[in-house]
Amino acid sequence: MFEMRGIDKQFDAVVALKKASLTIEPGKITALLGSNGSGKSTMVKVLAGLVNPNGGEVLMDGKPIQIRSGMDSRKYGIATAFQDLSLIPTMSVIDNILLGNEPMGSMGMVDRKKALREVNELLERFQIDCDPNDYVNTLMPSAQSMLEVAKAVKHKPRLLLLDEVTAALHHDEIDILFRVLRELREEGVAMVYVTHRMNEIFQICDSATIMRGGETVISAPVSELTLSDIVFYMTGKRPEVSDKNPTVEHHFSADAVPVLDVENLKISPKVKDISLKAYEGEIIGIGGLEGQGQSELIRAVLGEIQPENGTIRFLGKDRRFKAPADGVKSGIGFISGERNREAIFAERTISENIFAGNAAKGGLFSYLKASTVKNFARNAVEKYRIKIGELKNPANSLSGGNQQKLVVARWIAMGPKLLLLDDPTKGVDIHSRLEIHDILRQCAKDGMTVIMSASDTDELLAIADRIYVFYEGKVSGMLSGESKNAQRLVACMMGMTGKEEAVQK
Amino acid sequence: MNGIRSSYLRFRKTPAFTGFILFLISIVLNTVIQGFASGNALAFFNPNALSTLITSNAPFILVTMAQSLLLISGTLDMSIGIQIALVNVVCIMIPQELGAPVEVGWLCAILAAVAASLLSGFGCAVLRLPPLLVGYAMTFIIKGVNVLVMDIPQGKVPKAYWKPYQSPLFGFLPVALLIILLVFCAWLYLKRTKFGRYIYAVGGNPRNAFAAGINPVKVQIQAFVLKGVITGIAGICLTLMTASGNPLQAEDYGLRSLSACILGGLGFGGWGSMSCAVFGAGFFVVIQNTVYYLFTLLPKIIPGFAVTSYWQNMVSDVILLLGLFMTIVTAKAQRETLKQGLVKQFRRGEKYAK
Amino acid sequence: MQNNASTARMGFSSSLKHFVKASPARMALILAALLFLITVLINPNGLNPTAIGSIILMTTLLAISAAGQTMVLISGGIDFGVGSVMSAAAILTTYTMNGQNGHFVQVLVMALLMGAAIGAMNGICVVKIGLPPMIVTMAISNIVTRLQYVFTQGSPSGYASPLFVKSVTARIGGVIPFIVFYAMLIFPLVLFVINRTRFGKQMYMVGNNRVAARLTGVRVNRIVILTYVFSGLLSSFAGMLGAAYMNTARCQIFDDYAFTSLVAVIVGGTSFSGGIGTFGGTIAGALLMTVLSNALTTLALSQPLRNILNGVIVVLLLILYNRSKSVRQ
Repeated sequence: MFEMRGIDKQFDAVVALKKASLTIEPGKITALLGSNGSGKSTMVKVLAGLVNPNGGEVLMDGKPIQIRSGMDSRKYGIATAFQDLSLIPTMSVIDNILLGNEPMGSMGMVDRKKALREVNELLERFQIDCDPNDYVNTLMPSAQSMLEVAKAVKHKPRLLLLDEVTAALHHDEIDILFRVLRELREEGVAMVYVTHRMNEIFQICDSATIMRGGETVISAPVSELTLSDIVFYMTGKRPEVSDKNPTVEHHFSADAVPVLDVENLKISPKVKDISLKAYEGEIIGIGGLEGQGQSELIRAVLGEIQPENGTIRFLGKDRRFKAPADGVKSGIGFISGERNREAIFAERTISENIFAGNAAKGGLFSYLKASTVKNFARNAVEKYRIKIGELKNPANSLSGGNQQKLVVARWIAMGPKLLLLDDPTKGVDIHSRLEIHDILRQCAKDGMTVIMSASDTDELLAIADRIYVFYEGKVSGMLSGESKNAQRLVACMMGMTGKEEAVQK
Repeated sequence: MNGIRSSYLRFRKTPAFTGFILFLISIVLNTVIQGFASGNALAFFNPNALSTLITSNAPFILVTMAQSLLLISGTLDMSIGIQIALVNVVCIMIPQELGAPVEVGWLCAILAAVAASLLSGFGCAVLRLPPLLVGYAMTFIIKGVNVLVMDIPQGKVPKAYWKPYQSPLFGFLPVALLIILLVFCAWLYLKRTKFGRYIYAVGGNPRNAFAAGINPVKVQIQAFVLKGVITGIAGICLTLMTASGNPLQAEDYGLRSLSACILGGLGFGGWGSMSCAVFGAGFFVVIQNTVYYLFTLLPKIIPGFAVTSYWQNMVSDVILLLGLFMTIVTAKAQRETLKQGLVKQFRRGEKYAK
Repeated sequence: MQNNASTARMGFSSSLKHFVKASPARMALILAALLFLITVLINPNGLNPTAIGSIILMTTLLAISAAGQTMVLISGGIDFGVGSVMSAAAILTTYTMNGQNGHFVQVLVMALLMGAAIGAMNGICVVKIGLPPMIVTMAISNIVTRLQYVFTQGSPSGYASPLFVKSVTARIGGVIPFIVFYAMLIFPLVLFVINRTRFGKQMYMVGNNRVAARLTGVRVNRIVILTYVFSGLLSSFAGMLGAAYMNTARCQIFDDYAFTSLVAVIVGGTSFSGGIGTFGGTIAGALLMTVLSNALTTLALSQPLRNILNGVIVVLLLILYNRSKSVRQ
């Protein structure tokens, strides 16, 4: 039905797409896969009319078409749910869903009643529980993601593009979403599904197109692919079967002073009662479904959020940091998974980005040599063998995975006593992810304490020495040694805390 | 009772709440101070005085309303002040130099304002230049044009035109108020049309609006045209009030209308509505009025109190700054509701996470 | 390889854009030179030592007043108070000196204190009120203007001291004004603060990504307030020098500088959205703006035509420099 042929796109000097192609058939869900920077999002944006390709053609029913704007895209029956959401936060749910598609009443005015009815039907179908008159910026991220899909479905598209829409969803919401997608498939709607989550491909997709470095590597039915194939096509390497890096088990004497000791922490509304300990050289994982208080805990330790109750002991002393600046000064580092929003200085150079942590510490007006910055960055890069290109290029010239490595380099170069990571590998391709893991292990070996939350269970099991699992703002389980396995982890994430999983201190 | 309460709570959430509170405070202050100054507790509500106040400030209020349209659609035009002078110049010069009827002059004046707005809009929306600096450059250009057309203040409006404008209908209803209400009703209608939705979308996030099939450039240009029309009306009001022409007046309306919008609770892009502008401009006007009466009152209370009129301006500017501080308090109510919304959502989210 | 290939494919307009982006300062210098050349070609009388000297003088004055604006813009704010602080400092200078030598240090201390106080006020209000800096600094700048009138009854008195006037306007070899010695003091200081201190680095971080800066351990509010303080200090110093140049002062004498300095900074390549910009660029931008106004004067146009031309050229410059990205790529 739709076909993209030989699509080229350069952003300034960066090549995003090289002769990429994609075939989409009605009534099928096509997975579009690839690591970060492989060009999948750009492909989606070409179809959505947001990106103007430098070459190649888009065919609909065999005839070439020109998609010059969001309007054209809609005209051809294409609807898109974007990864970074296309909702307008300062408008209400109802206005957002019907934007550009308003039911018209008398005198050119929007028919409010009809609009409300239509929106309520849609909210019902997606089981989104919100008031249609609420402003979107008051909604949870997961509800916003669902709205984004609902908005696209509202257009009754022939082709539905879904760009990493499940990233912020709960399990149940994913089930609801998949049910709707299957219904649409029955109706003959074609879909393109972009995701990083491998299990979803096998659950819902019919065929897969895999991209690498802006080129289409292979298109095949999902039934003919195995996970190992997919990873191979994405990265060019076969995944290794055994855990090559078994995690370390630490034994500490009873009187050892923990680097971080959190007791009965309460931060409304998400964190209710959380206690955890982290010792020197440990890698502590924090698991759980999204939004169970992981980020709040981490931010409270750093000083970004002020807890209502409980104690935080850092290096044996009671500490309540008033601002992240205090935390950083005392030897805490923080790496956020929300790179663009919370970590990267996109317009500044790579070396300045690496030096950022250091720049925040020390005398404001003391002399700083140009070579200090450069050497600091070079040392950090060399010490941890981070390949991130020319130091004088701006950070936004890097792909997502490399940007995250940049942030990691920034902090480990500071040598903090405690490194906090909030879902640091979100949206990072598997290759960079493994590199980041290696770096963290090396740091822990050198005596740094690492606390890392992650939404991916496999990742937690692979890296953490001990795992605290959060459920509804409480610790539902602490896994270490024998008990650290996938079954227990998932059980605790769902809040099933049997006796055997009782919190161990 | 419950109905009132819940509609109050709903009103508290709206952006106009900030401006409304400020406006209310200013009216109370004015009533009290003017009451003491003139020895009549309700002097402020005297139809004649009130009507003069509204009539003489209608151009400013209208300009602020025009500016609010642009702010909602995510842009602004600082040259709006000098555009009023342009309207004034055209209004006077067309009848004076060409002997055309006054109405033709008015029409040409509105067209001139629309043309000037389109030019600004072209710079901001099509060329994507920083609106603030486009306004700066446009101010120079329009100033030049004004002086080319009318080198020194001159001209007059026939009495048959300014007299009805300046005398209230039925003895209490100022014509200017009617005009303001008319423009506001037009806004209420527009808000409910597609265009009304689109300017909010474009102001809130142009990229996302584009993705939703809206042409942000077109929508912003349309907003500029509308703003031009309102500016034209404001300029005519000014002309009828002064009944003469001045090529270099009202330039500071540009920045002042911007301040008034922000005081009224408008944000940069997609947040607020025209009622914010009305409240903000109202606050501006009433505060200046209050300060005037304050300075007639003070010498009565404190014997020997004598200061220059410069003090008046300073005190009203200080109060405007305090007004900005006040928005912290009033906006807090909104932030609070925003936060409550999040908590509510979170509770609902729990239902799913079994 | 790839880079060359794609550059070759780019048309003239995009390679021009690339050139501007690579170094706005260089571009501003070239434009200034071109503009000056055109002026001289049209009116050869424009090429004389006095004119060149006054270009240097005005450029220096504008660059100093724009230096603080550069810092504020880099950190993501905007300061509308530059002009009013300059005017206030000028009035303070002529009033205190009253044509007598020997008050320089006293005036310097007073002017700088005033500048720092207004700057701190700006910074604190911007941080505390949380409204757009444009509105907040404008409100405060209005008050500063009103204070000028209140204190001087609308007609400031006095003259700058002869020695001070000489130290600004006297020419070396009939061309280069003495003000360059002040520049030799101020410029390195500003360059040092922006490029060679942690404060400078943090300023860029705050401007580029405020949340990230905070989470990286920067005390964002402190940095923001400090940039406004610097802006106040530099503007008041510029106001002093301006008083020496004009010899007398009146209320709102330098109010134009609020916008002229802003345009100079933008034309020098500093971005409105923060995080990008250099002081070198600002100096080049100041030169360009000064050459422009010199051109308009030399061409002996009438005031309205001059205004129109000025507006048009500013728009043309902006088109060259500061277009934001299209929603469609």
